[in-house]
Amino acid sequence: MSHAEPSLTLLLIYLPIAELPVNMLLIFGMGAAVGFLSGLLGVGGGFLLTPLLIFSGVPPAVSVASVTPQVVASSASAALTYLRRRMIDLKLVGVLTLAGIAGSAAGVLVFGMLRRAGQLDFVVAISYVTFLSLIGALMLTESVRAMIRTRMGRPMPLRRPGQHIWVHGLPFKMRFKRSRLYISAIPVIAIGAAVGFLGAVLGIGGGFLLVPALIYLLRMPTNLVIGTSLAQIVATMAIATVLHAYTNQSVDIVLALLLMIGGVLGAQFGVQAGQRIRGEQLRALMAILVIVVAGRFLYNLVTPPAEAFSLTTLAGSGL
Amino acid sequence: MRAGTALAFLVLMAGSAPAAADRLIASLSTSDVKITSNFTGTSVTVFGAIERDPGSPPRAENPVIVVAVRGPPQTAIAWRKERWLGLWINASARTFPDAPAFYALHSSRPLAEAASAAELERYQIGIAHLALGPPGATPDDFERAFIRLKEKAGLYSEQSGTIDMPGASIFQATVQIPANVPVGLYTATVYLFENGAMVARADSNFTIAKSGFEQFMFTLAHQRSLFYGVATAVLALIVGWLAGVIFRRE
Repeated sequence: MSHAEPSLTLLLIYLPIAELPVNMLLIFGMGAAVGFLSGLLGVGGGFLLTPLLIFSGVPPAVSVASVTPQVVASSASAALTYLRRRMIDLKLVGVLTLAGIAGSAAGVLVFGMLRRAGQLDFVVAISYVTFLSLIGALMLTESVRAMIRTRMGRPMPLRRPGQHIWVHGLPFKMRFKRSRLYISAIPVIAIGAAVGFLGAVLGIGGGFLLVPALIYLLRMPTNLVIGTSLAQIVATMAIATVLHAYTNQSVDIVLALLLMIGGVLGAQFGVQAGQRIRGEQLRALMAILVIVVAGRFLYNLVTPPAEAFSLTTLAGSGL
Repeated sequence: MRAGTALAFLVLMAGSAPAAADRLIASLSTSDVKITSNFTGTSVTVFGAIERDPGSPPRAENPVIVVAVRGPPQTAIAWRKERWLGLWINASARTFPDAPAFYALHSSRPLAEAASAAELERYQIGIAHLALGPPGATPDDFERAFIRLKEKAGLYSEQSGTIDMPGASIFQATVQIPANVPVGLYTATVYLFENGAMVARADSNFTIAKSGFEQFMFTLAHQRSLFYGVATAVLALIVGWLAGVIFRRE
């Protein structure tokens, strides 16, 4: 093994939990690029960052667990901006988060089980394909339709207060004043728990699920959606970080810190840029990104692998 | 270099000390490899001398020196992907209990010239002769894949003709330690083969451990995992809040 170039060696930093050196600039850059998108689109960005880390050689278990605190940091900085502008429904965030804690706890347990059974990578990949392609297709058709409508001069049909779908027929109604919603707690709890569960297993904030769920399922006013989604992600992912560290010991604080600093810087510019782009264009952009990531995972799943074998070592041994 | 002076000292020792039979004296350039934040791998030099017994029969024509560095035992699982409903999924696995996490072998001449396969098997010298499976079993696909992946990761290696012998009885081999090396207790063993039989061996140990900040964080993450998790989450919130404050425009 030849020695690395001195200039390159300077950029390498050893990760204490992942137990390997990584290029500081590369990780920082990934964090910044994904942070920019997270500020722009109101998503945590984990669904992009986790795969990027996995593709650059960080073990999937450490990638998922260390992206969790990064999602907290980048979402928190963006959420703060929305909080100041009073664009967050805090009561809705509270209910979603309580359900999210239960979902995260279940997710972290399942994560550990899958890791021991050698199926974590497969489940992560197949879940990304399923969820991302579904959500991506849904968002893309919706936003393209909206764009065509705008281009033809017809305004977007506004949400009428009396408009009901099946969700509004469920019992246990709760009032969410800021969103001007009077809806059943059941879909809110289900959404919160699902996002918490997926966040813990897949290392994603769940913004790509939460944003459409709030828009299409709860019929929440669009101007509150992104702020509320970000605040919910901050709370759920902070809890998932603690649970991952406690249960699987796979959170790498050095990796997370590098990602965080890159992420929060990128997110600031993302928020600024987001104010100059139309909503449907934003959603179309996000939909395309989501579909590309799904395609990348699907490609890996269906093409015969160059190396059919892989090695895992049992955690804790050899120490 | 310190190894150089130690080598010179060993040459003197080899010339003067009386011995009952051919003996090996070996030492290492370090007994303690520390992993710090800028760790990108290192090397450990194994050096020593063959101490001849003046009374023993004339020296063998073909002495072969073998230096093997063996890492701590580690239980590894090799998974094989198989096609299932058009998707490639980990379908079967084999566990390798207590396989060496690291194995690097250097020999002065090819191993086959040192001793018979049975002899090498007996002492587990050479990657092909490590006891990964039940004794006598022929290696299966999993075992071959295990070795292949370990070699690819730089954790298993075997080279011949890589031992420096500046004199007739002193030797030196440099073992590369890659950055992804597992921590633990390592053993460097020097074997002396003469006429197809092992006539001497010498073991020396060294440890590879994280140090300073890396050690502190690793210990914290494993022994105070709840505190570590809360601290990480709080750190994330502080970083996010700080950025929000710094970049506030209004």
